[in-house]
Amino acid sequence: MAFDTEFAAAVAIELALKRGLEEVGPDELLLGCLRAVSQFGIAQIGPWAIDLEALGVEWVEIPVRGGAKVAYSDAAVEVFDLAARIAKANGGGSMRVEHMLAAFAGRESGLMGELSLSYGITSAGWRAAVSKMLPTAPAVAEVPPAQDYLSPEEAAEALGIHVQTLRGYVRSGKLPARRLAGERAIRIRRADLEMLLEPLQE
Amino acid sequence: MAQYVVKRDLPGITPDALMSAGVRAKTCCSQMTSEGQPVRWIRSFFLPETGQTHCYFEAPSRESVEEANNRAKIPFAEIREVMEMTPESV
Repeated sequence: MAFDTEFAAAVAIELALKRGLEEVGPDELLLGCLRAVSQFGIAQIGPWAIDLEALGVEWVEIPVRGGAKVAYSDAAVEVFDLAARIAKANGGGSMRVEHMLAAFAGRESGLMGELSLSYGITSAGWRAAVSKMLPTAPAVAEVPPAQDYLSPEEAAEALGIHVQTLRGYVRSGKLPARRLAGERAIRIRRADLEMLLEPLQE
Repeated sequence: MAQYVVKRDLPGITPDALMSAGVRAKTCCSQMTSEGQPVRWIRSFFLPETGQTHCYFEAPSRESVEEANNRAKIPFAEIREVMEMTPESV
């Protein structure tokens, strides 16, 4: 489950509390999802710029939580179930707010029905627009592999000590080191450096 | 804080229905935590052969675990306090 789903749910619960409802219904969930994907109070779903202000959603404030207890309504559970089916059918992974928005496609009752009428939203158009909002596979950042063996200079710098002090540790046997085959240069294993650091005794 | 197991029988439940329940549990727990009742869903084990599910929660009381499950609309058979044991703890 992605962070935005949690945010959408928090907004939905907050809205239900503000409205004095006993349960969080699909309308609140839809508003929570729209709020989660909105910028400056506008949820841009494909060609449709849905104005949250017009729908009575505070878009400047981050939801303040607390208050009465609200549960999800049976209809809200159905929305979550459908969103989970959509998420699973589209490669599994976690449930995102786009999957929840997609679950509202073609819904004729409640707020989605009203939005469909006032914005001219079609089921297919909504699904197409929401699917375009899904992030494409993130590019894997190139992280240089951690260097396992360090020169005395690098090792000293990693520990924040003078290189002569480090060489002293190696001479006294406190820090294991290896010699490059047939050469004078020595190398220190990063793991050995870490073992040199002892926790402070109480 | 005490730990509790929530036992459920969910024969024939599908993976996506489990996911839906998980999302609901997680969001209800974070809502209750923000209200000052720190309920945390730790993990669940699902037994595909029997449809039984054991869900572990950390919470201040049995009642708060029950409330989280009611809010999330996830049915359960019983809730019991548990003691955790791990290879590291023995």
